[in-house]
Amino acid sequence: MTERLRLSNAVIKYGDVTAVNGVSMTANEGEMIFITGSNGSGKSTLIKAIAGLLPLSSGSLERTGKMSYVPQYEDADRDFPARAFEIVITGTQRHGKLFYTHDDTERALTAMKELGIYDLADKEIRTLSGGQLRRVFLARAICGNPELLLLDEPCAGLDAQSHEVLFNVIRNILSGGCAVVMVTHDISDIDGISEGRIIKISGGRISIQ
Amino acid sequence: MNEVIDLLSYPFVYRALIAGSLISVCASVLGVILVLKHYSLIGHGLSEIGFASLSLSSALKIPAMYVAAPSVFIASFVIMFVSRKYKTAGDIAIAAASSSALAAGIAVSSLTGTASNMSSYLFGSVLAVTENDLLLSVILSFIVISVFIVLYNRLFLITYNEDYARSLGINTAFYQLIISVLTAMIVVAGMKLTGTLLISGVIILPAVTAKIIASGFRSLVIMSGIISFIAFVFGLIASFIFNIPAGAGVILMNTMILIIARVVRLKK
Repeated sequence: MTERLRLSNAVIKYGDVTAVNGVSMTANEGEMIFITGSNGSGKSTLIKAIAGLLPLSSGSLERTGKMSYVPQYEDADRDFPARAFEIVITGTQRHGKLFYTHDDTERALTAMKELGIYDLADKEIRTLSGGQLRRVFLARAICGNPELLLLDEPCAGLDAQSHEVLFNVIRNILSGGCAVVMVTHDISDIDGISEGRIIKISGGRISIQ
Repeated sequence: MNEVIDLLSYPFVYRALIAGSLISVCASVLGVILVLKHYSLIGHGLSEIGFASLSLSSALKIPAMYVAAPSVFIASFVIMFVSRKYKTAGDIAIAAASSSALAAGIAVSSLTGTASNMSSYLFGSVLAVTENDLLLSVILSFIVISVFIVLYNRLFLITYNEDYARSLGINTAFYQLIISVLTAMIVVAGMKLTGTLLISGVIILPAVTAKIIASGFRSLVIMSGIISFIAFVFGLIASFIFNIPAGAGVILMNTMILIIARVVRLKK
């Protein structure tokens, strides 16, 4: 089984404050990992570091394969003048690739269909509800055919229907061999989800695995 | 009307019209990115640094662009670097650099007795546009529009969410550098025509107006270019009719279009 992620003794500091202190974890293909913990526990810092957005102060990070990252909904600029499809297709961009192909368009539209937002393709994102915009971000992530998918609080504020759509899509990509790492502060978000491993973070360290 | 047609028979008028239209359209297209990335003040900061360097070149009696171009380029890199490194300090860096540069420019021109030359740098002059400036603006426009078309998808991604772009393995600092270089080029090329005090308006006002009307990013870029072109042509004509500096005419025309767009939008 291919290892998609290996984090060893990761330490992340903001100035003098240590947000993550010696965390080690792995994620294999087709594996689902939930990272939970209270606010300020260091879980969002951890996933940002895995996404390559924060440098490790010490320790090492190894990733293999294509990665997609879904940031927290709160990070989104709701007022940005863009259509849903314009946002989704950016998920197919990669280093060294400047133009979209016909295949990219197809993959973006397929991802939108899977998430039930195909009809919203031409809508401006400022007119979408919170749940619809979260699905746009997820469609953007999966249309890049990721082998490692990182989700930061994807369930926050989702209605029951969107929650079900989200986990159906995740199960689908897990079965395709993608490893999924999801941060959630609310353990009830993953009630009834049988697959996956839970890592609890407290004070920047792993408290339960 | 006849007066306007007569005006076009003067070479300096059509030079100003062509050079200004090209620079305005390029500035407004870049302005879309600067406005959406909350770098609206960068044009203002760079133009005042340009003013200081023009004062210095006038005092030293060396060609203006030899001092202005490198100064503005270096300043744009510094401002972008500070904005990236310290996310909240970008506006502080711009405010500090621009007011210090303006003060230095005024001091140099007063001390060296060249203050009378400064009026055309501050407020712009259509008479100042030479054949070389026209050629420069054509080349510059070709570069800006070509870069924008080739990098359109990338610039959209980085403008919307830089963190997400970085997570895809894209070198966002490189694209930031390109935006800095293009902005510096536009500021240097536009300073003579609209004046250092007003070039930032040419960069941001059309994008702000287009944001009210347009739907989607592509439409925003196109609308911004069209609005800028219309505002420049009619602003320049108005500046001849009312005998005011070209920069003032263009900016006031942009402001008028912005107000009309806002009022029409509110009524809908």
